[in-house]
Amino acid sequence: MVKFKRDHYGYIFIAPFIIAFLIFGLYPVYNTFYLSFTDTTLLGGDANFVGLTNFTRLFADNVFMKAVKNTWIIWILNFIPQIGIALLLAVWFTSLRLRLKGVGVWRALFFLPNLLMPAAIAALFFSLFSFYGPVNQFLVRAGILPEAMQFLQNQTIARGLVIFIQWWMWFGATIILLMAGMTAIPTALYESAMIDGANERQMLWRITIPLLKPILIFVFVTSLVGGMQIFDIPYLLTDGRGSPAGSIMTNNILMYLKFSSSKGHIGAASAVGVLVFIMTCICAFGIFYFLREKK
Amino acid sequence: MLTHYKLNTIVLRGLVYLLLFILLVITIVPIWLLLVNATRSTTEIQQGVGFLPSSHLVENYGILQGKGLNLWRGFLNSLFVAVASTVLTVYFGLMTAYGIVVYNFKGKYLFSNFIIILVLIPMQLSIVGFYQYMSVLGLTDNFASLILPTIAAAGSVFFGKQYLESVIIKDLIDAGRVDGASEFSIFHRIMMPIAIPGAVTMGIFAFIASWNNFFNAFILISSIEKYTLPMLVQTLRGDVYRTEYGAIYLGLAVTIVPIIIIYLIFSRYIVSGIAMGSVKE
Repeated sequence: MVKFKRDHYGYIFIAPFIIAFLIFGLYPVYNTFYLSFTDTTLLGGDANFVGLTNFTRLFADNVFMKAVKNTWIIWILNFIPQIGIALLLAVWFTSLRLRLKGVGVWRALFFLPNLLMPAAIAALFFSLFSFYGPVNQFLVRAGILPEAMQFLQNQTIARGLVIFIQWWMWFGATIILLMAGMTAIPTALYESAMIDGANERQMLWRITIPLLKPILIFVFVTSLVGGMQIFDIPYLLTDGRGSPAGSIMTNNILMYLKFSSSKGHIGAASAVGVLVFIMTCICAFGIFYFLREKK
Repeated sequence: MLTHYKLNTIVLRGLVYLLLFILLVITIVPIWLLLVNATRSTTEIQQGVGFLPSSHLVENYGILQGKGLNLWRGFLNSLFVAVASTVLTVYFGLMTAYGIVVYNFKGKYLFSNFIIILVLIPMQLSIVGFYQYMSVLGLTDNFASLILPTIAAAGSVFFGKQYLESVIIKDLIDAGRVDGASEFSIFHRIMMPIAIPGAVTMGIFAFIASWNNFFNAFILISSIEKYTLPMLVQTLRGDVYRTEYGAIYLGLAVTIVPIIIIYLIFSRYIVSGIAMGSVKE
């Protein structure tokens, strides 16, 4: 009886979290779904229930489809080299054959960009790649470019730069995660594989990668969820409207544009949030479900 | 055969070091240019790429001030929001985690799985509903709307739970109970000191997340005197500063230097924290 009462303290300890979650987490989600069915604006006035109008408008609008497509392209093209290079470096860093020196220092340096403010990084790359910026100066002096060019007015370069910055910010974090997973794999497995005559490539594909699956799923899902919400970098790299020609318009930039439009059409902005929310959740849980350990 | 293998290893090692060096240059050069250019005058920056610091730091600060950008104010705003968020995240994160780890109550596993789901859900996409609701409550353009939600930071609870499971000693809690300490004073007096390393790691991540947060502040804060640093970065992108390169770089440097200093001091905590956040069971 005494013990039973004491365990009730559990509810008291988790109560602040639950209350704050209901107020600042769950209700806003509910409110966003609710607003997406209305024509509410920031100007106030009467808000009407408009059913699925906001959603049908979005699907009819090329800009929304383009934003979703861009967001996926940016995420996929950054994720593949991110996981690839991180895996390669993690294998090298843990390799008993190579015995690299200063692994901790290399890793710490590669991770540094991840901690820096994305807004400042975007502004930095804007300056570096601007017409009078250091990249132009360097390329012209080195004779690689005949004259300075407007990098950020080229669709491919602008999008490539967003992808590069995302890769640059995240490959170090992925190295750390993968190495944490690798050090948990028992060395006996590799030893017995070596006795059986397995080469390094076989050990990577048959032992390391299968046993890294939980970490790989974690990296995959968290990267996807973050990637679908990318905002700071594409927003601050060009004019904040996804220029040039909407090539770096992402889901969240579109949501912000609807939100900050002169009428402040937050019903439409909510609809963008709701659709991306649903899409991201389905993909995240899909990955989780299909890749989970089956017992 | 053995020497052949050895030779191969040496060549491979050389190539690996070369690639690591190239990656290091790619990683560090942009950051280095940012820091160095903050000390160079606009003329110097326009004359060419330079990797050595110059002497125009104070001058660049003067230009920023002269154009009405209150960097110091933005710094203090960011600091206030980040410190308050960190305190709430760490305290309530540990409290929630402690509740899950120490007590056996009905719904405990449900709640703990729910936390994991929350970590994976893109909550930021509900920002519009959040904004509209805050404006009804009169909390827009108020730091409270940035700070209070951190009481329910699912990522911190998840981390705190992993951490507490590895350090909590039931005997100590029982000893506290025998001495007649209340459940809350056991949490505060016995558990908190033990959990300091975990709390530091949680705190660093909470601080950096808040410090770097642009999107929420951008949507919720509107008056210039309440702008946080990332919002000032956005201002720096505007036309007023178009040709003041030195000043722009200085403005950006102020946002990242505190984080670099924190990283220099706490890199061990940060690296192990990243690794720990993901390892389940």
